[in-house]
Amino acid sequence: MKQAWLFPGQGSQYGGFLESLPTHPTIQETLDEASEVLKKDIKLLATAEKLKSTKNVQITMLAAGVATARAFLNEGAKPDYLAGHSVGAFAAAVTSEVLTFEDALHLVSLRGELMESLQDEAYGMAVVVGLPESVLIDITQKFHTNEKPVYVSNRNAPQQLTLSGHKEAMQNVLDYVAGKGASSAKMLNVSTPSHCPLFLPVQDRLAKEMESITLQRPKFPLISNRNARVLRQPSRIVQDLAESIALPVRWHDATSILFENGVRQFIEMSPGDVLKKLAKNAFPEADSYSVEKNGFNDCLYLAKNEGV
Amino acid sequence: MVIIQQQRSWSTRLEGKKKRLAEVEHLVNGVTIPTEKIVDVLELLIKPGDRVVLEGNNQKQASFLSQALVKVDPERVHDLHMIMSSVSRPEHLDIFEEGIAKKIDLSFAGPQSLRIAQMIEDGRLILGDLHTYVELYGRLFIDLIPNVALVAADKADRFGNLYTGPNTEETPTIVEAAAFRDGIVIAQVNEIVDELPRVDIPGSWVDFIVEADEPYELEPLFTRDPRHITDIQILQAMMCIRGIYEKHGVQSLNHGIGFNTAAIELLLPSYGEQLGLKGKICKNWVLNPHPTLIPAIETGWVESVHCFGGELGMEKYVQARRDIFFTGKDGSLRSNRTLAQLAGQYAVDLFIGSTLQMDAYGNSSTVTKGRVAGYGGAPNMGHDPGGRRHSTEAWYNMMTSQDELARGKKLVVQVAETFQDANTPVFVERLDAIDVKKQANLAVAPVMIYAEDVTHVVTEEGIAYLYKTDSPAERREMIASIAGVTPLGMENDVKRTKSLRERGLVAMPEDLNILRGEANRSLLAAKNIDELVQWSGGLYEPPTKFKSW
Repeated sequence: MKQAWLFPGQGSQYGGFLESLPTHPTIQETLDEASEVLKKDIKLLATAEKLKSTKNVQITMLAAGVATARAFLNEGAKPDYLAGHSVGAFAAAVTSEVLTFEDALHLVSLRGELMESLQDEAYGMAVVVGLPESVLIDITQKFHTNEKPVYVSNRNAPQQLTLSGHKEAMQNVLDYVAGKGASSAKMLNVSTPSHCPLFLPVQDRLAKEMESITLQRPKFPLISNRNARVLRQPSRIVQDLAESIALPVRWHDATSILFENGVRQFIEMSPGDVLKKLAKNAFPEADSYSVEKNGFNDCLYLAKNEGV
Repeated sequence: MVIIQQQRSWSTRLEGKKKRLAEVEHLVNGVTIPTEKIVDVLELLIKPGDRVVLEGNNQKQASFLSQALVKVDPERVHDLHMIMSSVSRPEHLDIFEEGIAKKIDLSFAGPQSLRIAQMIEDGRLILGDLHTYVELYGRLFIDLIPNVALVAADKADRFGNLYTGPNTEETPTIVEAAAFRDGIVIAQVNEIVDELPRVDIPGSWVDFIVEADEPYELEPLFTRDPRHITDIQILQAMMCIRGIYEKHGVQSLNHGIGFNTAAIELLLPSYGEQLGLKGKICKNWVLNPHPTLIPAIETGWVESVHCFGGELGMEKYVQARRDIFFTGKDGSLRSNRTLAQLAGQYAVDLFIGSTLQMDAYGNSSTVTKGRVAGYGGAPNMGHDPGGRRHSTEAWYNMMTSQDELARGKKLVVQVAETFQDANTPVFVERLDAIDVKKQANLAVAPVMIYAEDVTHVVTEEGIAYLYKTDSPAERREMIASIAGVTPLGMENDVKRTKSLRERGLVAMPEDLNILRGEANRSLLAAKNIDELVQWSGGLYEPPTKFKSW
């Protein structure tokens, strides 16, 4: 039985979440390493107040994912595949040793800054549950204009999709789908319209930044965000890291590819259990766990004993 | 007349085979390949560009051989043309990722449907075509004749005779295509024994046997737990029994694998009995040993069942009911996918299955956008074989013309609830299959069952008797009248439905004397797996994952 480790993206953070990480020397060391690179205590970036900044979210989510996964590796667990959602993909790339933790910290800081620089209260994201992709795309196109754009962005589950774009256009879509059978349609509390063409400038800048970074071959294959491919070449991995910010995250496809490759155990690194729940719904016959909800020791035992 | 004697050999295939066999002589013991030598042997026996049939059956998988094939050196073995009825294990596509194989012809790829779609898009795999089972087996003897066949058996003796038993499935067909055209046949076996229970495939058809490090993989694909059958499915089952099976006198049939048809199987001893239909319908089956058929067998409904394959846990039950099933002298089931598919195509009155999408004329498909899944047995059995000559009551009953040359028709029934889920209507203007055709660059859209073959559509609203009309406009009206509140269904109006009902083109439950309120789970002869075990007198041994007690 193969296992994959999943790294959550923005949205799974909560005030003080770095304090809630499992107690493990490797986790403490990793956070210390981050603090050294950042020249400030990373835990202070994870307060409810500080997490209002996208940049701080990006940095702390990266650190949490890398710290948890490194603790697993040091305890002798070994994944067959890694996959991270949005900024989680950076944590996956570090865990796979394609990027150094230090380089990744700089990259996600930049990513966060660039996202913030395009931040505009008029823009954001929303989530629609209960409509298939093709239906939501048709609806979205009705309300999309160049002045007030709206896009279907992340495909988290076949009927759990996000919108990114101008809040007025998104509100129009949300009002419309409420009458078309969506079981839930609401704005998310973010002012960064990620994973749509509005973020093409971020993509370009990140790609340029990555040109100068030294890459290693991945220790574990990764699944790409933008097209759910199994990646083993460092250049393709960083390309995906750069491009995914302006493209939809095809998370359901990414985990489907893992399942088709024989993965029957999904373990979500800290924080949260969003990806565990998605995996559980999509693949009832697989085992899905999250470190935060199932506990570090239990997950470690399952990872090392391949689910028993 | 002068006959010029050309200096050519008429046995190049045999000579080639002998050469290959000589290359591995030092690695094998007679017909036995030592388990740990399998990769070395495959590297010598398989040549670049070979056509290789790998037994990725619907159920039984030559898993040891597929794992070995991934390990061969792509420098030595490459550009293989794989022929597989079912692409279901990760390594079936790893072979392409490793550069060992290049092209594939297949029937079904459901469990690898996203990966195969990606690999086609990325140019890492060339898709020959998607086939029905019989089509693919047929081509093994025409233009896809294999150089090498890699198959799985339960047991072999030291002469290479094989016992494939309940899970014989497609093995004899594949072996025949290779063995009698000087191809090389390698069979993985779970064990090598002194004496076989019976010989399913003679050793003279087999070149090598190899003991697998673990038994071949087998999935219980046809076990449906009655706990999951809904009242709506029971209502549809009642409509099928009254409005189709009884009405047309359906005696021989194949059922799909959905819960809809499991419900029919479980209603025969209860609802069917009340209607006095025993002995009049559902006597001769082509079907895997469905556990949900046990109550109907036990109550004397079923005369015979021929099987495509086996089903995990049903071995002892089948053995103890040899009047019903095809069994060998040793007592165990003999299945045969090729012959069962042919029987299901030509020799039965009715095929019934469920679908995920249907257009307004009755074309149906189970594909999802972005996936290349191929077909199961449905398109084979779900069509009217125009060459049929023999008549049965049900077949004859489909005749709608007074023409002197008029003939009957196979009954092809599609059952569907009007919505797949809250917001996904089954009835659509345009099948997703059309998009998949473009995405995967297929020659034709992967339609599961063509409208021209569908005789009946059943929803929770009613039955459309499509065979009664040739008019596309009328077909559309008939389907709309049972399409509920889907966009197609909204085209319908009450007056028109009334007229269609009066003319017998559609029937609602009340037209069939079925009270919707009576359609509930209390009618099921068995409500869970435990009750199926009880019906079987303890002979059915369900796999652990189905046990709830």
